[in-house]
Amino acid sequence: MAKDAPSGTTSLVSRPVFVEGEISGEENLHVDGRVRGAIRLTGDLFVGASGVVDAEIDARNIVIQGAVTGKVVARRQLEVQPSGRFNGECTAASYEIREGAVFEGVSRMLSSKSQADKPPAPPPDKPRTPPPDPAVPKK
Amino acid sequence: MALFAKDKPETAPSAAVRTDHETAFFGAKLSIKGKVSGSGNLIVMGKLEGEFDLNGELVIAPPAVLNGEIKAVNVTVSGNVTGNLTAREKIHLEKSAVVNGRLNTPRLSMVDGASFNGDIEMKKPAEAALASKRSAQK
Repeated sequence: MAKDAPSGTTSLVSRPVFVEGEISGEENLHVDGRVRGAIRLTGDLFVGASGVVDAEIDARNIVIQGAVTGKVVARRQLEVQPSGRFNGECTAASYEIREGAVFEGVSRMLSSKSQADKPPAPPPDKPRTPPPDPAVPKK
Repeated sequence: MALFAKDKPETAPSAAVRTDHETAFFGAKLSIKGKVSGSGNLIVMGKLEGEFDLNGELVIAPPAVLNGEIKAVNVTVSGNVTGNLTAREKIHLEKSAVVNGRLNTPRLSMVDGASFNGDIEMKKPAEAALASKRSAQK
């Protein structure tokens, strides 16, 4: 699936650039500048030390060295590095918050509510393997 | 060693590799709706709907598709642009460029094969400066 495919290219919003609006795509994104609006990526988001993001974010892995504000979904992992600041509401499958990092807001685990985008698991009340049927002849 | 670890796409690019880059890059699979502004250079290969206002050089490379208002100091087009292109210094249309709209630039160059439908307005920077001087003197 595209979700797990390594996305080759990494786009860059460099330090003097400001993007206002929606950024979406099947890539990784590195932000050293400023982004306001929304970011939806199948790949990873990396917010560099000078990066300032105020957006609704949906990405695979999110690494924060700069400042991020908003409602965030990291389908795999959210990492806030020592220089990073996060402010808002985050849903992620896993978290890594380093010492010195700032995390203010709500965090939720993705595993409990991620059933929508994963193939449904077999219902737990049914046995996984059907009982052997004596009527079927063995080969 | 880590600088050349190209076979590990899962790892985020390290800050050390990236900090020197001041040329922004929007890849082919990225689409942006809204406004991009600031200074520095920018290479676009993706889709944009909206506005570019850049105090630097803009390169629109295939397979880029841009729709909207574009302003920069220098613009080089080899992708697809619909809308108004304004350059403070120069516009260059490459062979593979497809432009529909209005060009506004003091200098223009076009390579044989480029496709362009629309108007061109050329004001020499000297003329523009003179005009503003005259109006200031009045």
